[in-house]
Amino acid sequence: MATEKVFARKASGLVRGLSMVDAFGVGLMNIGLSPSMFFMISVGLLIYPGGNLIIAAILGFLLGGISFPLVWGILGGSMPRSGGEYVYNSRIISPLVAAAESFGNAFAWVLWICTLAPYVVNPGLTMLFGFLGLDYLNEYVTSFWGLFLLSSLVNLLGFLLLAFGMKFYAKAQRVAMAIGLLGTVVCLLVLTFSSHEIFVSSWNALAAKYSSLDYNAFLTAASQAMTDAGAVLPTTWNWPDTIGLMIAGSWLIIYSYAVAFIAGEVKRPDKTLLGGSFFACLIPTIIMVWCGIVLYRTVGYDFTVAASYVDGAGAGLAGYTFPWSTHFMGLAAILNQNPIVLGLFAISFIAFSVWFVAMSYLAFPRILFAWGMDRIGPKWFTDINYHTATPIKTMALLFVIGEILLVPFCYYNDFRAGFVVTTLEIVSVFGVTAVAAVMFAYRKKVKNIWDASPYKNWKILGIPVITLAGILNLIYLTILFYGFFFTIEGFQWWPYITFAIIWLLGIAWYFFWKRRNRKTGIDVDMAFGELPPD
Amino acid sequence: MRIFFVSDIHASNHCYRKYLNALKIYKVDVGILLGDLTGKLLIPLVEKAGGGWETNFLGRPVEVNTQEELASLKKTIEMVGYYWIHLTPDEFNAMSSSPQKQDSIFKRLALERLTEWMALADERLKDTGLKVYMAAGNDDIFEVDNIIQNSSTMVNCNDQVVMVGDHEMATFSWTNPTPWDTPREKPDEELEPMLEVLISKIKNKEKSIFNFHAPPHGFALDLAPQLSKDLIQAVDRKIHVGSLSVTKMIKKYQPFLSLHGHIHESRGIQKMGKTTMINPGSEYSEGVLRGVVLEIEKGKLKDYIFTSG
Repeated sequence: MATEKVFARKASGLVRGLSMVDAFGVGLMNIGLSPSMFFMISVGLLIYPGGNLIIAAILGFLLGGISFPLVWGILGGSMPRSGGEYVYNSRIISPLVAAAESFGNAFAWVLWICTLAPYVVNPGLTMLFGFLGLDYLNEYVTSFWGLFLLSSLVNLLGFLLLAFGMKFYAKAQRVAMAIGLLGTVVCLLVLTFSSHEIFVSSWNALAAKYSSLDYNAFLTAASQAMTDAGAVLPTTWNWPDTIGLMIAGSWLIIYSYAVAFIAGEVKRPDKTLLGGSFFACLIPTIIMVWCGIVLYRTVGYDFTVAASYVDGAGAGLAGYTFPWSTHFMGLAAILNQNPIVLGLFAISFIAFSVWFVAMSYLAFPRILFAWGMDRIGPKWFTDINYHTATPIKTMALLFVIGEILLVPFCYYNDFRAGFVVTTLEIVSVFGVTAVAAVMFAYRKKVKNIWDASPYKNWKILGIPVITLAGILNLIYLTILFYGFFFTIEGFQWWPYITFAIIWLLGIAWYFFWKRRNRKTGIDVDMAFGELPPD
Repeated sequence: MRIFFVSDIHASNHCYRKYLNALKIYKVDVGILLGDLTGKLLIPLVEKAGGGWETNFLGRPVEVNTQEELASLKKTIEMVGYYWIHLTPDEFNAMSSSPQKQDSIFKRLALERLTEWMALADERLKDTGLKVYMAAGNDDIFEVDNIIQNSSTMVNCNDQVVMVGDHEMATFSWTNPTPWDTPREKPDEELEPMLEVLISKIKNKEKSIFNFHAPPHGFALDLAPQLSKDLIQAVDRKIHVGSLSVTKMIKKYQPFLSLHGHIHESRGIQKMGKTTMINPGSEYSEGVLRGVVLEIEKGKLKDYIFTSG
């Protein structure tokens, strides 16, 4: 059929304008490339030293990189509204489950501030100071007060990026993305265009300059440190640790789900969301595979593991006196001492991390706004500032809660805190949405939506693709949950007890507002109640 | 007194039927259904050479081959607020090159659907004692008013002041100019005197309700994506597109409640002085009825809840 068979009359209506490239950009921004790579390499190899970065990245893509775009793309393409998972879960499962899930999600956004604002300081600022020869400042910035005050400034910066409205935010976003991507790619190019011999000789030259351990001595000392900590420096990779490393690399996949928040604005949502989120998983995977290849080739397999272990443990290594740590950008810095290039590495990391914090100020007020509209929260949750059209009051609330929770996070300052937030999201956001995906084709209450879905006829062996994708997604999420929950020693129970309390609080919150509003004659169930069309 | 207010259902059969049912389910005393009431797209179901029909629907090509598939497609088209028509390939080509013919068919189908709606309301609301006020929006052709006028249960309140409980309600369907050159739009300078004439009919302005399709300019109720010359929406820039004259009238007369629609994506509530301003938004294209239930007691807005059914 060559011609477009539709007639339109003069009536107000929007033409959806966002392309697949735009959708890809939104997914990629939410992934935050270099902090996610840092998390997989330094934190992942600390816990799973026998993991293979290349195989873990590919495995993660095969399990999550296909099922995530299918679940979020098909749900978004079938219900093209810009409300994210709340739209799907409230319609397919139930409004109560969607409300409880969004309570957990709101808390997760607060925790991202507490996790990632300190990332801006360490390893972000410490990396910058180390690269620029200002490493004497690191002692101050990584002390409790230094970390807390600087993290508070990052928290304030996140607030200000949104406080002046979306136009300002959008401009800042483009700058952050450009710097972030450029720094990461340049870092990998530096590693790509150097040989192992050059790396070793460069390391040894710097070791002489800083009176530090040479290449072999570092390897020996790191191996001993690992042995002392009950670990072993592997000579080759193994499958259990590679699966563990895949779990640590999940940030590179799962946060592509942000495309769901622009579903109402994209052209051809049936193709754009699916394609945008697929490429937002594929490109970071390719970059991570590229990173793994050049690290193993240029730096060496065992040295990469040893260096990442030392960086992830964060306790330093006796005799190692380079002014920066041995994360993947620090390893690239061995090969290029140009201060502009080094500054770009560090600033790209900082830009992505700051961006994560700003994203909390975008998402959290919108969740509270939805609660306010549904009357499961105070009316002021829906207040919008006249001049900037921003929800200043709920943003201020987020700032205050963020400040309070920054105290324990800065006190303990453990990179692994990111695992905690992701675990909360696995259950409260991704898990619930995967269940909704499994149910979508069979749920009577959304039959009309399914019948109109462009994916209705997508089937494998008679089973709808969305159902299969939901099941694959649940398998992937179960592996992630198991990994986060059971395999991280010494970091197991308190966050999960907190989660249980949060979910109980979410249910209590819902019923408190339901009861309170009933007294004034308003039944909260009206906000979600099914209305029969016939 | 409990009011259920909805706007912009744009010919969605699903939303309209849900609205009629919601009046009873929400146990309301008064219903207000503000425009836009008519649809925007006409889907031609073009006969294929070997049997069956083909068209474009929701941005993609669709082919149906059996009567069951055809009936299902028609129902879905009506659910999302579009119209359909059977055409041969020759008729389709003739219609494609004739904007006048397209206009006349649009008009006929829009009025037919609205007539069906009025008949359904008369059937379902008869003997319920419910009072339901209805008015057009800027997208609606002028003939729409007569169709509502002929209903025995719906009250056409457009450009009038009617009593809603103890409160006078003024209704206005016009908006400030849009990029689409719709039937009921004028510059704000022309809207202002029209609004002044309408509001002058209200005796107690502080206790009155403004039921204006256009939202006031400069609030969270009138934010829409900025458009390019080709009417493509911007990636992340939103601008205020409401009416300055509506803002002026609310500021000047301070009714206790001001109801609006027009900007589907700006669902919200905001205060300006003593006035509570509400836009319930619209999600008609997915068959979801968005609205707001208002509890009014002793001349004040006691409480409210936004609904999505």
